This record gives sequence, C-alpha cells and structure tokens, in this order.
Amino acid sequence: MKSPVPIYDCHGHVGVHPDFPAYKHTPAEMICVMDLLNIEVLAITSTLACYNDCPRGNAEVAEALKRYPQRFRGYITVNPNPPGEALQELERWVGFHTPPLIKLHPDLHKYPVNGPHYRPVWDYANQTRAIVLVHTWDSDPNCGPLRLAPIAQEFMHARILIGHAGVTWRGYQQSMRVAEVAPNTFLDIAGSQSHRTVIEVAVSRLGAERILFGSDMPYLEAAVSLGRVLTAHIPDQAKELILRNNFRRLLEEGPGS
Amino acid sequence: MSKSGIDPALGEALAWNVFDANARVGHSGVHGELALEAPDLMNELDRFGIQQALVSHFAAEEYDAEEGNKALARDTGEFAARLTPAWAALPDSDSIQRLAARQPAAVRLFFGILKHNFSSVPWCAGELLEYLQANAILTLIAREDIEWNSLASMLENFPRLPVLLLESGYRADRYLFPLLRRHPNLYFDSSTYVAHRQLESFVERFGTDRLVFGSRLPLYTPGAALAALATARIPAEARLLIAGGNLRRLIRAETGGKQ
Repeated sequence: MKSPVPIYDCHGHVGVHPDFPAYKHTPAEMICVMDLLNIEVLAITSTLACYNDCPRGNAEVAEALKRYPQRFRGYITVNPNPPGEALQELERWVGFHTPPLIKLHPDLHKYPVNGPHYRPVWDYANQTRAIVLVHTWDSDPNCGPLRLAPIAQEFMHARILIGHAGVTWRGYQQSMRVAEVAPNTFLDIAGSQSHRTVIEVAVSRLGAERILFGSDMPYLEAAVSLGRVLTAHIPDQAKELILRNNFRRLLEEGPGS
Repeated sequence: MSKSGIDPALGEALAWNVFDANARVGHSGVHGELALEAPDLMNELDRFGIQQALVSHFAAEEYDAEEGNKALARDTGEFAARLTPAWAALPDSDSIQRLAARQPAAVRLFFGILKHNFSSVPWCAGELLEYLQANAILTLIAREDIEWNSLASMLENFPRLPVLLLESGYRADRYLFPLLRRHPNLYFDSSTYVAHRQLESFVERFGTDRLVFGSRLPLYTPGAALAALATARIPAEARLLIAGGNLRRLIRAETGGKQ
C-alpha cells in the first residue's frame, strides 16, 4: 500500500519520546518509511523542544533541514515560559522558512494556548503569516480546540493547523466548530484514534480544502493516516487535496499572499 | 484511486483471509453515531475484505451480560459463518452454567467498576477463570478494563488461560513486553498498536505468534489497522498469521470447533 500521489505531510517530529520506546526514528530511517508510503515532504518539529528544551530541539531540526532539504520542512517550536524566550527563539531560527512554521504544544508546556504569554507569538505569527501547528486535545484546559476560535479570529493572518483535530470523536466536533467560524484554521488528521466516518463528516462540513494529512511520524504510524484517507468515502479529488495540495499550497503562499 | 473507496493497494488484504479479533455490534448508549447493527457491520467487513470477526455486544458491555448475550446470539445467528460471538461472562455459578451451554469459543470480560464490576482475583472470579482455563476458551479483555498488575496476577494464577488483550495502546510496550516474556498464553490485538513502525519492530523482536489483527469496529475504521499491517516490512507468512491465522488457531476454528 502506497499513496498514489506524493504526500505533503504537515505533522512530523525529530527525536524520541519519554513514555514508550521509539522505533526507527532517525531522519534516515524516517526517509525510508516516507519513500515506502510516498511521502514527499514532511514538516517536522523537535520532540525534545516539545518536552524539554526548545533551543537544543530546534537545533536538531536545523540539522535535519541542512541534511535533507528536499524532504523536510521545519517548525520552530516555542515555549511560552519563561515569557520572552519564544520571540528570541523565533528570531534565532528565522532562516528556516518564510513565512515561518511555528509549533506550539500547550499541553506539554502546561500553559493555555490563549494565555498572555503566548500573545507575542500570536502577534508574530499574524505579522509574518506563519503556519502555526498547535497540539490539541478534546476539551483540554490548555489545548482544547475551542480555545483556538477567538485566537484565529483575532490573528486572522496566521494560518492555524489544529493539530490532531482534537484527537477524539468529540475533539473533531470541536475542531470543526472552530473551522466553521475561522477560515484561517485547518484540521490536521494526525492522531492515535481512527474514528470511522470522521474524515467524511469533516469533508462534508468544511470541504476537503480545510483538511491536511498529518502522520505524527516517528511518534505514530504514518500508514494509519494514509489508510484512513485512502479508504474514506470521499471523492478522489478530495483525497488528493488532503494528501498533498492543501499543505503544499499553504507552504507556497508567500508573506504577501 | 479506486472508485470503490478502497485504494487498490489495500485490496491485497482480500487475499489475507482476515479474521478481526476486535469488533462490537448493536446499539450503543455511549457511541450512538458510530454503533452498527449486524447487517451494517457486515457491510463494513465486506468493504474492507474482512472475512470473519470475533464480535461482542454493546448491550452486554453497557447494560447486562445475559441480555447482551441473548442479543448477540440473535444478531450474529444470521451471519454465523462469519461472526463468532465473544460472549460476556460473569463470575457466579449460574452464569457460568449458562455460558457453558453456549459452548463458547471466546468470551469477553468487562471487569470495570461501571461495567460488570468484579475482580479477576481467584476469590472473586476463580470459578469462572478455572472454567475458561480448563476449556481453553479464548478470553478477551480490553486494557481499559484491567490494570496491568491485575492482568499480571491473573496470568500468574491461571497460566494455561489464553488471554487476548485488546486495545493495549501504542504506549504499552514497557508493560507488554515483560508480560509476554513471562506468559506464553498472552496475546494482544493490533487495533491501537499504532506507534511508528511498532508492528514490524514487534515482529522483529517477538516473532509473529502473539499478535492478532483487530479493527475496533464500529468505532474505528478498519482502514487504519489494515494499512499498518499492509505496510509493515515483515514476511508474507507473518502477515497472514497476524491477519487471521493466529486467531483461528486460538479459537480452534481451523479444526472445526472447540474442545
């Protein structure tokens, strides 16, 4: 099984994780899996930065971008604590991409995505038309999808990817409510739960243009997301948008678009 | 892409003779939008080329074991060649007698406080677990229904009982691996074993005998677990065993029945 179109994958990582063993996680091993499934481009965020240390983690991303510039895009992962450090980090890695890709993990950084420490980041994202991938989880006090609606409406030039689309069945419903009121938001389907019909419902409610393929590689199995999309009851054109065109279009839209 | 909705590459699953270890049927008070009655469940199995499934009933899980078993008999009866009941079981003698009359190939236990609310320790479930062990009846337990320590104790106390752990989750390896090494009658399903390259890494470490395919229908799409199996870099015969061969061995389906 392989994607019939080369995939642009909006959600990947570099690194390992504390809570279970990581398998075949080096960038070289990941590229072998990307080739196996036909993933052309993977946007990666540092797992080290999500859990523990943004400067060192983002340096790992820089190294992967340097080594595999054709296969990876790099998110700059920022931590709202201590206040002010996030902007320094965004400036340090400004060379990654224009517009920048930014990753927020309010769950692991234990700070609400709509809290004041994040506001400078949202201002920056708005000014630069950044793509901002936000980890979300159903109703979570720090990263429940519904918290993103007022942010997306206030910072309307930021392109916000609702990471994992809230994960659960209810999380998807919340994510779709956000996407319905905020046109600058997109659902990222990466996740450990594979509820039946949820992709069909999302395409029906939002249109396929608002849904992005995400794998969460090398945390989660990329074939799972691929299987969900390829076997969904949606038109082939919608599958192609989700697998490739939507995220590619976001990446190619310049700062003045 | 196929007009049928299945990627042609996933069509290869048709040749695997897939036997799904983890499916449920009937109305659900918890998962209303996703639950499927038997004919619709069959349609989903057909859509993904799944030949057979081991099925429990939401009515047993959410309401009453005996009522659920009656519903399971009714709902699976029409499709007996393809749907194998995983009966609910309670620890009292009367329930065990009723269970035995059904000549079960498999049971699914719901220990949870808000489900059937009993313990796996011998003073509580000893008679039931002895019966299941004596008759080599495959015993399904979802990870959310039993703590790791309780599972370990049960496996110690009933070493010949074949246990199939469902929905162990992708974070389970540091618990799962020691238990698998200690207890040769422990198996698990693939429905939530979805970390990056986890399935093929498991086969490289443990071989093929302990893992069985599970979809988690009707809550999850089989497209997810089938894709993980389809893309695992494992030998073809390993894929066939995981897809269905192991489960058929465990419920003795290949020899035409049970004891």
